[in-house]
Amino acid sequence: MSLFLTLRVALRALIRNKVRSILTMLGIIIGIAAVIAVIAVGQGATVMIQEQIASMGDNPLIIFPGSARVGGFRFGAGTRSTLTVQDAEAIIKECPYVKAVTPIIRAGGQIIYQDKNWSSGIEGVAPSYLEVRNWNLKEGNLFTDSDVKSATKVCLLGATVAKELFDNEESVGKTIRIRNMPFRVIGVLEKKGSAAFGHDQDNTIIAPWSTVSRVLQRSSFNEVNQILASVTSIKMLEPAKKEISAILRQRHRLSQGTEDDFSITDATEITNAITSISRLMTLLLVVIASISLIVGGIGIMNIMLVSVTERTREIGLRMAVGARGKDILLQFLVEAVVLAGIGGVFGIFLGYGAAQIISNANNWPVLVSTDSILLAFVFSSVVGIFFGFYPAWRASRLNPIEALRYE
Amino acid sequence: MLITLNQITKVYQIGEVDIPALRGVTFTIDRGEFVAIMGASGSGKTTLMNILGCLDQPTSGQYSLDDTEITRLNRNELAYIRNKKIGFVFQNFNLLPRTSALENVELPLFYGNRLSSRQKYQRAIEMLTRLGLADRLEHYPSQLSGGQQQRVAIARALINQPSIILADEPTGNVDSKTGQEIMKLFQQLNQEEITIILITHEKDIADYARRLIHIKDGEIV
Repeated sequence: MSLFLTLRVALRALIRNKVRSILTMLGIIIGIAAVIAVIAVGQGATVMIQEQIASMGDNPLIIFPGSARVGGFRFGAGTRSTLTVQDAEAIIKECPYVKAVTPIIRAGGQIIYQDKNWSSGIEGVAPSYLEVRNWNLKEGNLFTDSDVKSATKVCLLGATVAKELFDNEESVGKTIRIRNMPFRVIGVLEKKGSAAFGHDQDNTIIAPWSTVSRVLQRSSFNEVNQILASVTSIKMLEPAKKEISAILRQRHRLSQGTEDDFSITDATEITNAITSISRLMTLLLVVIASISLIVGGIGIMNIMLVSVTERTREIGLRMAVGARGKDILLQFLVEAVVLAGIGGVFGIFLGYGAAQIISNANNWPVLVSTDSILLAFVFSSVVGIFFGFYPAWRASRLNPIEALRYE
Repeated sequence: MLITLNQITKVYQIGEVDIPALRGVTFTIDRGEFVAIMGASGSGKTTLMNILGCLDQPTSGQYSLDDTEITRLNRNELAYIRNKKIGFVFQNFNLLPRTSALENVELPLFYGNRLSSRQKYQRAIEMLTRLGLADRLEHYPSQLSGGQQQRVAIARALINQPSIILADEPTGNVDSKTGQEIMKLFQQLNQEEITIILITHEKDIADYARRLIHIKDGEIV
């Protein structure tokens, strides 16, 4: 019997028992849908994390001040201000692998424009900040080195702040008040989206570091919360780290054997950590989904065994008119594979739909790749072959005389 | 000779006990004959039919059908012989339920055949028309009378132009009037040079045949 005819016969047999076929398929549908949705969410999460890491800038290095030490008692990183603006300037001057660097001095406070007010972080930075973070201006201009020198009270607004205070109206040239100090808005930043841990990167204001330090923090020191550096290429991350470490140790006059009073983190470490967690989660969920697929497969096996028993006479007759064992084997195997295959196709659609719903509900990108669809389809067919084989083999081994007389 | 049976025996083993069903059956059937094999239940006529129909192999002896020595064949070769050389007609029709008359008749053509689906369709229509069922092509077996169902089964048996038609109690499930019609149909087919072997325990059915073979306790009498 040709494969096409066998396929037609299989479809007929399945249609004859509609409810039973659909219920049997349901196991496969749920299994495949779960696999598709889980992979989609996992891949979406990975891509999102990668995008967020990329939004930090090109090959970024983050330098934190070291931990404070009182006697033998150590505090966490950043508890003491050991990094200065001059450190940042030294890094760009002395380290050839770094293409841009900026100090970051953080402040916070209430921002007021006319009758509206909003709360956001204020970052005091150098003009190179936008280059380091790979960020563009939407409108207006950046402040200059001379603004930094004279601690001018100018600022740039993140997209969220601009929206909250100005509600899409022109903001450049207006004056806002930060902690009751007037700042002139000279530009608005492009929208960047949320960062790896969910905080809104656009809810920010940037201003010259000198202004933030002198005006908002009323400090005459140039201590910074963080130095952000952008390395020329990803391969240069390690040499850059070593070089920066050497520069800072020299500047901080640390003798050999003493610990660093700063720490350098590169984003690939964060990426790797998050990626490996998300990969582990995906793997775990795929394992669970696979188990449901196996349960579905057992359902197919069960129903195929019932079907073989019910159709013993039909098998006997087919054998009497010339069907060989392998014709019968193929007929029932194709039936099981069609059952699993159709279940797989429905499962793919259902999984795709579920992935879309998850993505809409969580604002989470969801990626249904052709790979995972192909994988799901092949997987469901394999389940069909695997669990369909035993019933089909039993059918093919029937004795035609007994099968014909079966009541 | 179309069929030559030589010293055919069949022994069934049930547990430790050997039960002989056929004890050395020898006869020949020529092309174009209409033979009735008669016997009571337990006489071995069903076993004989299974062997003649290539559904079962004898324990010993030789069976040659159309110059092919059947006793040497394996499962797949037997299936091929059944497909090409034997048309079965059963007591309970054995039509596939919820399958049209046409498709039931086409069934033997699905196996070991290189005909296009159009050719199969044509042949099945011709065969059903020949048996007076041209207006019942798309009917399911459940929508047909017993006599009509048996005629569909006969059309199925004839579709591959077999060497023999093997009819096992073909009138057992229909009323006597329909039974007579079926037997007349067989006679008519026999006049068209088709070899028919009829297995029955009823004398008046066997009388339609031109030759009688009586079997009792596994032997020809």
